[in-house]
Amino acid sequence: MTYLRLLYVFFRIGILGELAYRVNFLVQLFQSLLGLGTALAGLAVIFSHTQELGGWRQDELVTLVGVYLLVGGAINLVIQPSMERLIESVREGTLDFTLTKPEDAQLLVSAQAVQIWKLIDVVLGFGVLIVALIRLRAAVGAWQAAAFGVALLAGGAIVYSFWLILATCSFWFVRVENILVIFQSMYEAGRWPVSLYPPWLRFALTFIVPVAFATTVPAQALTGRLTGQTLSGAVALATVLLVGSRLFWRFGIRYYSGASA
Amino acid sequence: MRDLLDVYVQQFKTTLAAQAQYRAALVIWIIGHIVDPVIYLVVWDTVARSSGGSVGTFTTGDFGAYFVLLMLVNHATFTWIMWEYEYRIRHGDLSFALLRPLHPIHADIADNVSFKLITFVFMLPIAAGLAIVFRATLPFIPGTWVVFVPALLFAFIVRFLMEWTLAMAAFWTTRVSAINQIYYVAALFLSGQVAPLSLMPFPIQVVATLLPFRWIISFPVELLPGRLTPGEALTGFAAQAVWLAIGLALLKIVWRAGVRQYSAVGS
Amino acid sequence: MSTPTIHIHDLCKTYIVSEREAGVVAALQSLVRRHTEQVVAVDGLTFDVAPGEVVGFLGPNGAGKTTTLKMLSGLLHPTAGQVTVLGYVPWKREKEFLRQITLVMGQRNQLVWDIPAIDSYELNRAIYRIPTPDYRRTLDELTDLLELGPLLRKPVRNLSLGERMKCEIAAALLHRPQVLFLDEPTIGLDVTMQRRIRTFIAEYNGRYGAAVLLTSHYMADVEALCRRVIVIHHGKLLFDGELTDLVQSFSAHKTITVQLGDCGADLQSYGDVVTCEDGYVTLRVPKSETARVTERLLADLPIIDLTVEDPPIEEVIEHVFAQEVV
Repeated sequence: MTYLRLLYVFFRIGILGELAYRVNFLVQLFQSLLGLGTALAGLAVIFSHTQELGGWRQDELVTLVGVYLLVGGAINLVIQPSMERLIESVREGTLDFTLTKPEDAQLLVSAQAVQIWKLIDVVLGFGVLIVALIRLRAAVGAWQAAAFGVALLAGGAIVYSFWLILATCSFWFVRVENILVIFQSMYEAGRWPVSLYPPWLRFALTFIVPVAFATTVPAQALTGRLTGQTLSGAVALATVLLVGSRLFWRFGIRYYSGASA
Repeated sequence: MRDLLDVYVQQFKTTLAAQAQYRAALVIWIIGHIVDPVIYLVVWDTVARSSGGSVGTFTTGDFGAYFVLLMLVNHATFTWIMWEYEYRIRHGDLSFALLRPLHPIHADIADNVSFKLITFVFMLPIAAGLAIVFRATLPFIPGTWVVFVPALLFAFIVRFLMEWTLAMAAFWTTRVSAINQIYYVAALFLSGQVAPLSLMPFPIQVVATLLPFRWIISFPVELLPGRLTPGEALTGFAAQAVWLAIGLALLKIVWRAGVRQYSAVGS
Repeated sequence: MSTPTIHIHDLCKTYIVSEREAGVVAALQSLVRRHTEQVVAVDGLTFDVAPGEVVGFLGPNGAGKTTTLKMLSGLLHPTAGQVTVLGYVPWKREKEFLRQITLVMGQRNQLVWDIPAIDSYELNRAIYRIPTPDYRRTLDELTDLLELGPLLRKPVRNLSLGERMKCEIAAALLHRPQVLFLDEPTIGLDVTMQRRIRTFIAEYNGRYGAAVLLTSHYMADVEALCRRVIVIHHGKLLFDGELTDLVQSFSAHKTITVQLGDCGADLQSYGDVVTCEDGYVTLRVPKSETARVTERLLADLPIIDLTVEDPPIEEVIEHVFAQEVV
C-alpha cells in the first residue's frame, strides 16, 4: 500500500534526522517523565481529600493519564509537526514542490515531519495504562480491548481531521500559525474525564476542540464505562470528519491554485 | 527618572505595534491561563460537592473565588522572559540591547506591563463571567483590598526578577525548555495552582513557604478573601522583601556573568 | 514540428487582489467592504516548445514568467486559454504527468534541511516510484556531472548556497523528467557555480533530450543555453525567436570599439562617444552608418585595432522591456 510505504519513508527520515542527537532523546525522556510525575502528583493531592472523583477511582484516572500521554505522544509525533510544516510551506511557497509530486498531496503533507522522540510519550503512556489496569485488577476482555482500539483509532481520526481543517484555513488566512495552539492548550483538559466539566465546557471539549474523543472515550472503553452509543457516535463522527476534512482540503487546494470555485 | 518613564511609554507604543514571531506562543499561554484554573476549579468543585460541600476551609463558592483570583493574579505576574531571551540569544538580537545605555530589564518590564494592559481588557470580563458561572463567593473586607495592591505589586516584581534571572540560563545552554519545565512544575505545585496551599501535604507547604513560589502567586490570592491573619500578612510582606533583595543580588551577578559569557562566545 | 512538448494557446491568468490603503479607518472599512482589483498576470500568451528544445523565458520582474511556469506545471489554473504539456492538461495534475516534469525554483528548497541530501533523494525515489537500478544509475550520473560526491552525506544545512543548489537540482532530476521548468536556478550563486550549472543543464538536455524552459535574469545563462528566447512583459508576448534575431530587431545601433594610442582625440563627429579608457574608445553609431563611419575612422586616425559589435544583450533586453529601440 502506497500510504504505508510513504509513511515508512517519512518515519525513516524523521529518525535519521534525529539519531545524531542522542541528547534530544535524554531530554525528551526527562521531560516526559517529569510530565508524568506532575500528573500523578496532582492526582495524589486530589485523592488525599477524596476517594473518588466524579465516579472515577484514582487508578481509573491513572488509566486516563496513560491514554492522555499515549494519544498526546501520537499527535505530537506526526500530526502536529506535519501540520505546522504545512502552514509554514503555504506561507513560504514550498507547498508548490509538494504539489508537483506525483502522489496525493494530502498524504504527503500529513506525514512530512516526524518528531521521533515523541515515541517516548507513546510508550510511557502505554506503560502507565497497563500498570493502572493491573492495579485495578480490571478484567479487560477481548471486546473491551477491541473497543479501546476502535475508540483510539476514531479519536485519532477525529483529531487528525480537526488539525487538517485548521491547517487548511491557512490557504485563506495567512497569519494562522497561532491557530494550531488552540488544541495544544485545550488538550490539558483531557487529563480529566470530560464528564466532570460543566455542560458548556463539555460541549466545547467534545465538538469544538475534540479533546474528549481523544482521551476520555478510549479511557472509558478500558474502564468499562463506554456505551455502544458513544462508541458508534465516535466512529460516525470520525468518518464524517475524515471525509469532510478531505473535501475541505481539496477545496483549499483548488483555491490555492486559482481554480474558479 | 523622567527618562525612565519615557522609556516605558515608548516601549508601550512599540508593544502595541510589535508582531514578533514568538508572540504566537503567547497565545498558548493566555489560553492556558484561562483553561488551567478552570480545570482545577472543576476538579475541586467536584471533590467539594462529594465531600459535603467543602474541603478544608474551602466551600465550593470559595474554590470559585480562589481559582478566578488565581487566574487574574497569575496573569498579572506572569512573564515570558525566558523564551524571549532564548529567542534573542539564538537570533543574535541581544547585541542591540547590550549597546543601549540602559539595563535591558527596564524595556522588558515595560514590554510586559504594556502587553498586559491590553490582555486585561479581555481577561477581566472572562474572569467575571467565570466567577458568575461557578458561583464564586468573595467576602468583601475593605482592609484586604488596600493591602492587596502592594502585595500584588511586590509579587510581580519578585517574580519578574526570578524569571529574568532564570532567563539568563540561555547564555549557557540551549536546553531552555527543560529548565523551564522544571520551573513550571515547581511553580504549579508550590504556588497554589494545583490546589490551595492549605490543602497540600504539609511538607509541600513548608517548602513552598521557604521558597519564593508562595509569595509570588499564592500570597495575594490568600490575602484578598481575608484568609490570613494580620500576623501572617506581615510575614508575607517580609518574605517578599527578603526575596526581592535576593532577587536583585542574583540578578546583578548572573547578568554580569551572562554578558561576559555572551561576549566571549560571540553572538 | 512533430507534436510539441509544450503547447500554449491564448493563455490568460487574472488575479483578484484586495486593495487596502494605509491607516486605521481604511483597515476598519476593509472589514465591511472589500475593495478588489483585477491584476492581469498573463494576457493571451501563445507559443509551442518542441521536444528537446531549450527556451529562455525573459521578462522583467512581475512580467508573468513565474505565473506561466506555474500554469505549465499544474500549480495554477489558467483563467482562459489552452495548455498542454506532453499531451496532458497540467492543472488536472495526473500522476503520469507529474512523473515526467520537474520544477526547480532558485530561491526555495525542497530538500529536508537537517538530513543529508542522499536521504531526501530516497524520499523522492519512493514518491516517484523509481526502480532501484534506474535510481542508482541516474544518481551516479548526476553525481558525476554535478560533482556531488562529498556533498551527499552532509546535512543540507551545512552546505554552502552553491552546493545546496547542486543537490537541489539533482533531487529534481532523479526521476529523469522529460520537461524541466527552471525558475531562476542560478540566482545568488557565484560565477563559477553558475557556469557549472549551465554546463550541466546543457549536458542533461543533450543526453536525455529533455525540453527545458528556463527563466533567468543572468544574460550569461540565456546566452549560453538558449538559442530561442521568449520575451514577455505585462503578461504579453513581446518576442519569440532566436536570441540573435532579438538583438537584430531591437537594436538600431552598433558599437564600434577603436584602439588608439591615447584618449586625446575628439571623436564626437564620428558618433556618440560612450567611454574612453586606456586608449580604447567606444562609439555608438546607427546601424545604417556603421560601414561609413568605420571607413572614415580607418582613413582619418592612426588606429591600432577596431571592432564592430552589437550592443551588450543586457542593454538590448532593458530596452525591450522599456519598449524602446536601442
